Amino acid sequence: MRHVAVVGVGVTKFGRHERTCAELFAEAAAEALADADMRPDALQGIYLGNVVGEAGERQLHMGPQVASALGVPHLAATRFETACASSHAAFRHALFEVASGAADVLLVGGAERVLTMPTERSTEVFAYASDAVFEQPAGLTFPGVFALIARAHMAKHGTTEEQMAHVAVKNHRHGALNPKAQFRKEITLEQVMSSAKIADPLKLYDCCPFSDGAAAVIIASEPVARRTRKPVWVLASAQAGDAMCLHDKRDLSRALATERAAQAAYRQAGIGPEDVDVVELHDCFTIAEIVATEGLGLFEPGTGGPAAEKGETGLGGRLPVNPSGGLKAKGHPIGATGAAQIGELAMQLRGEAGPRQVEGARVGLAHTLGGNTATVLVSLLGREPR
Amino acid sequence: MSVTAVAGSALSLKEFFDGVRAGEITVQRCTGCGELAVPPKAFCPGCGGTTWERRLLGGDGEVASFTVIRVPPAALAPEAPYAIVVVRMAEGASLLGRTDGIALDGLRVGLPVRVAPPADPTATPPVIRFRPRPAA
Repeated sequence: MRHVAVVGVGVTKFGRHERTCAELFAEAAAEALADADMRPDALQGIYLGNVVGEAGERQLHMGPQVASALGVPHLAATRFETACASSHAAFRHALFEVASGAADVLLVGGAERVLTMPTERSTEVFAYASDAVFEQPAGLTFPGVFALIARAHMAKHGTTEEQMAHVAVKNHRHGALNPKAQFRKEITLEQVMSSAKIADPLKLYDCCPFSDGAAAVIIASEPVARRTRKPVWVLASAQAGDAMCLHDKRDLSRALATERAAQAAYRQAGIGPEDVDVVELHDCFTIAEIVATEGLGLFEPGTGGPAAEKGETGLGGRLPVNPSGGLKAKGHPIGATGAAQIGELAMQLRGEAGPRQVEGARVGLAHTLGGNTATVLVSLLGREPR
Repeated sequence: MSVTAVAGSALSLKEFFDGVRAGEITVQRCTGCGELAVPPKAFCPGCGGTTWERRLLGGDGEVASFTVIRVPPAALAPEAPYAIVVVRMAEGASLLGRTDGIALDGLRVGLPVRVAPPADPTATPPVIRFRPRPAA
């Protein structure tokens, strides 16, 4: 397999938009092309993540729609759906097309519009990513999924609501440094703790927002990438699964798909968690960040909560997690999230992340979780090819 | 390794939920390793076996995790707030369901519960419910 690099990054501001997914994706893609110093005729295909196109815009078959909006209607353009991990799955498949030699330059990303729907409707539509037989009829929501995980983690490890709140405070502090973030204001521990209950023990500020937005990256084969300004190399990309139903998982306090994908990614890259300098991970809820830092091997099981409380995962801490603000503050346009995480890592590894730069970062890890922890993707990026 | 038996579940989802309507939990049990499967599966995730038998559970379990949903999906708005529990059954399998007769502030991990008939047995699929169980 050939070496592959990320050579261009583009992302819209996350938040409320009055433009369609296709328009938003075209904006992100144009920014990624400019960043790569490429013209659209360099592209050989489009891999798109999108989840709720049907409900948000009554749009299936979004691939050719985004290609048309970008002005390259002749390109192969395919939509991927693995719930919130969709554009990370698109990235992994695009990677294989370039690594195999079938293509040299591909556009990868995602787009989502959710704020076209009222909250009760989007809560229902998002729940479609949980099991339609056992979970949706019982009235399980996504905050409910992670509330059940939180209770199990609290019971097993003594994790506290305050420790979870520290994740929100930290990611808002990071998000304030990111001009593309949905929320650019810092919050206090007291604000998190006193916010409205959504699904006990999770409160409003434990939850990421509903967001519209798009993100895109351009990936290229080594010969092409060597001619670009600052390629960032893909060291590994792995996907793993776990039982669809929450009740069918072996241990609710762990994310087994995260553990499996991380182990596969470290093996592919020939490195370990101790080699990672910066992490963009799936903090759809504060507890998700704590469970992920443990599952990725960055902190021992049960120590993710105390690590968040002590500031070890903040900018300037031992291992900065979600310098972009994460899903919590940057926003979570679900189909775009994986590509946005990979784009943030590329900026970090180039040393171009501005006030949120993790100094000297050489290896980055992106972790994206789909649905009720049943799909996870983990990719590793580096300044040098492996 | 060759697969000598034809994979197939010994229990359909329809049969499982017909049991739930009557307040009974019937699951698949792998004859190879004893794994209990809910929902039904073709191959055993534990040992890869394909020979399943049916097993009627006793109905007793303990709360493994719980939450109270305060922002519900649109269709369930009139029922909120409501509890959702994951219950570890005495035989080993786990089930997700709603509660009946348990105060929302009385939930805790380890609470002994017992399967009860669904609130609406005509619903497709019906929702499993759990009631408090006096400790043995």
